[in-house]
Amino acid sequence: MRKALKILILFISVFLLLWLGLPSRPLHALPPIRKMVLPNGLVILHCVERSLPFATFQLLIDAGSRLDPTGKEGLAYLTARGLLLGTSTQTAAAINEKLDFMGASLSASSGRDNAILSLRVLKKEIDKGTDLFMETLTRPAYPDGEIQKEIDKMLAAIQSAEDDPGTVAQKAFQNALFLQGPYRHPVEGTKESVKQLTREGVLQFYRTYYHPSHSILTVVGDLTAEELKSKVLPIFERWPRKAIPKKPFPIEFAKGPIIRKIDKPITQANIVIGHKGISRDNPDFYALTVMNYMLGAGGFVSRLTEEIRIKRGLAYSVASFFNPGKYPGAFQIVLQTKNSSAREAIAIALQEMQRIRNEPVSEKELEGAKKYLIGSFPMRLDTQDKLVNFLTQLEYYQLGLDYPKKYPSLIQSVTREEVLRVANRYLHPENYILVVVANLKEAGME
Amino acid sequence: MHFRTLRIRPWFLILLLSFLLLPSFSGAGLREEVFETVLPNGLKVLLLENHKAPLVTFQVWYRVGSRNEEWGKTGLSHVLEHMMFKGTEKVGPEKFTRMIQENGGNFNAFTSYDYTAYYENLSSDRIQVAIDLESDRMQNLVLRGEDFRTERMVVVEERRLRTEDNPQALLIEQIMATAFQIHPYRWPIIGWMEDLSRLTLEDLKDYYRIYYSPVNAFLVVAGDFKKEDLLPRIERAFGSIPRGVAPDQEKRKEPAQIGERRVLVKKEAQLPYLVMGYHVPNIPTSDSYALEVIAAILSRGRSSRLYRNLIQEKRLALGADADHSLLSHDPGLFYIAAEPLPGKEVAQVEKALDQEIERLQNELVKEEELEKAKNQLEAAFIYSQDSLFVQAILLARYEITAGWKAIDDYIPSVRKVTSEDVKRVANQYLIQDNRTTGILVPLALQKRRPLPEGSPIRERTIQ
Repeated sequence: MRKALKILILFISVFLLLWLGLPSRPLHALPPIRKMVLPNGLVILHCVERSLPFATFQLLIDAGSRLDPTGKEGLAYLTARGLLLGTSTQTAAAINEKLDFMGASLSASSGRDNAILSLRVLKKEIDKGTDLFMETLTRPAYPDGEIQKEIDKMLAAIQSAEDDPGTVAQKAFQNALFLQGPYRHPVEGTKESVKQLTREGVLQFYRTYYHPSHSILTVVGDLTAEELKSKVLPIFERWPRKAIPKKPFPIEFAKGPIIRKIDKPITQANIVIGHKGISRDNPDFYALTVMNYMLGAGGFVSRLTEEIRIKRGLAYSVASFFNPGKYPGAFQIVLQTKNSSAREAIAIALQEMQRIRNEPVSEKELEGAKKYLIGSFPMRLDTQDKLVNFLTQLEYYQLGLDYPKKYPSLIQSVTREEVLRVANRYLHPENYILVVVANLKEAGME
Repeated sequence: MHFRTLRIRPWFLILLLSFLLLPSFSGAGLREEVFETVLPNGLKVLLLENHKAPLVTFQVWYRVGSRNEEWGKTGLSHVLEHMMFKGTEKVGPEKFTRMIQENGGNFNAFTSYDYTAYYENLSSDRIQVAIDLESDRMQNLVLRGEDFRTERMVVVEERRLRTEDNPQALLIEQIMATAFQIHPYRWPIIGWMEDLSRLTLEDLKDYYRIYYSPVNAFLVVAGDFKKEDLLPRIERAFGSIPRGVAPDQEKRKEPAQIGERRVLVKKEAQLPYLVMGYHVPNIPTSDSYALEVIAAILSRGRSSRLYRNLIQEKRLALGADADHSLLSHDPGLFYIAAEPLPGKEVAQVEKALDQEIERLQNELVKEEELEKAKNQLEAAFIYSQDSLFVQAILLARYEITAGWKAIDDYIPSVRKVTSEDVKRVANQYLIQDNRTTGILVPLALQKRRPLPEGSPIRERTIQ
């Protein structure tokens, strides 16, 4: 369950992050953002927020699981996690002791596109905190014994996740959808691939991809421009520049209809319906954001929730989302319903995909969507964590620092005709890939 | 995902909402920052101005949760929470949600053992929308049989999602049902499945009448507003609601436990899970702060004892956690839990956890380790203040349990805890006779169908 939630939250937060937007009135909440590029190529974004005595650092390294070598899936994840396993001068235990003593948290992980190292630290400990941050980043020792333990944990976590039907469904869906491409495998690898990981592989991955020229450092919090200049920049300037090889990604999506059924002794059918989606740089992103809000992302006012939950009581949660990345991701509808309602819920979900393709949405429904998307924007930036994520993504996707200003008009300009057009172009109810994890007998789907 | 039930399952919450469980305080007191008043009809109002962003969180807290329910009618508080979105005489069903979202707002509600809370987070210039909707549904809720029947189905799906298909959640439910025999913490917040089908519209109407009134509720508003402007608006909207009668909030005390209780849950699962719950006092007592420190020593950060010993050195567990629910209306449980790594026996893990407890009981914690735990608790609170929404929730949870002003005592009280306190408290409460140990015993997954799991089947059509 907790893993399911984490995964769901990950998906949702990734999506929300990309829904960048601003309210119609000026956003005086957002302090000025400074951007600079160091000689080694590192991009730094900085935003001073001094209401509380702490700061948040986030470093994005363009080294996500999409770069995993075939057969070594999970390598990017292990390389990121391995940053925390000790350095050439200190053991992990020594570093952890110091971090905990100052109440700081340092975490490292990777997603499908990139790896993230982040630090939250009190103002009074910023010097010590950034030193540890930098040491962890640039001098990881990847000790053999620790790596082996981490691999054991990854394998155990993969095994444990099999108890979560939502995760099982999600993995099966990605596997069915991507015939080939960077997002086909789970970030944490599979139980077969993780066994193939070695310290040598980790070191090689690290040496290939962990370089400043494809990285973004975002700093938000109680740290002035002068402090950044005197305390932080000198440390990051020492990070040597190195070129990163470009890797082409052939991507091939499966064409539906495809049905994958997985039998489990559970009470609910966990359903994923979807198909090929878009990449973040698709110009139809905004029209799709508006369309999808009405279809299934708008919480209680979405059509899927209205039809499946409110009218029929078939599910507690149902939502649709695009999951755009550097490369095209998936479109999917995710829901859970009692086994015996599985067929009914699937049929309704497909009908709703069809309906938004067949009939133009009403002006009223469209306006409601736009008002929410534009008006709720400031809430996506109201903590240091949210702001750090926002700014890093802004830079990663090259949206420009003026993006917040442009966003309301990007949303506002979407018309009913455009919603209809993108629904027809990007929703394919006849080509669906359907995964059902359920007690198949009760679901009548044996 | 919308009508989320915030159930106290500590380690899940730690992962998802760790800020909620880190009550602490630093710097200047909130006593100076929070304005408190009680309207003539008994409705308490807490206002916290903060102008760092043009946003507000508007929250209505009712002093009712699963602890107020009766055996046989469990889950009633949470079902009523769902029904609170079904409209009033003025506001039609589903209109509520549409109005908030069209104003760029987010909303939700959550039910716990001790409370049911509703909130709207929105731009500060839209606060009137929340005031109008919340004051309306405090008194004018329309409960229709038709809505109830559908919404109950939704809640049943919620229970399936959260509990029935989640072996670890089932185990926690059984531990609570075993550790508590008399006190209402015995049953799950979402209710027993059998009880959900037994609830009636009349039950909901009675419950709404008894518990949803100004005298049994309070407001917390935090964010970008001026008190002089907001308070009159709140008075206009809420001031005329009849006071209601303060419901009896006394519950029978759970008698002292007289020997360890053990409970097994056998389910198809990949890995076992071990949880120990000890009866402990709650916030009004100073011992509860020592328990906060103990939880931090055991499981906060990667240098904590459970992480270092069970996960890193002995390599027994995939995860291990300790949690203390300080902000509990009545005494609750202190939990220690671990998920054994594949190939490790539950007994080995249990022994290792016991050794950690014994170490707390036999050795004085070194000054530096104690200091580290306190630093972590203090830093965590500073971080948690970053979100006004979270800060408002914390204030409300203090109000429910010890009065909101107690929030200012947290850091000083934590700072006062000595290594002798830690040892004494570990010896007093973390003892075998006082605990309920629960074990998830994985049943081998039966081969249910001839096709192996995950194997793809291609089909052309589906009905």
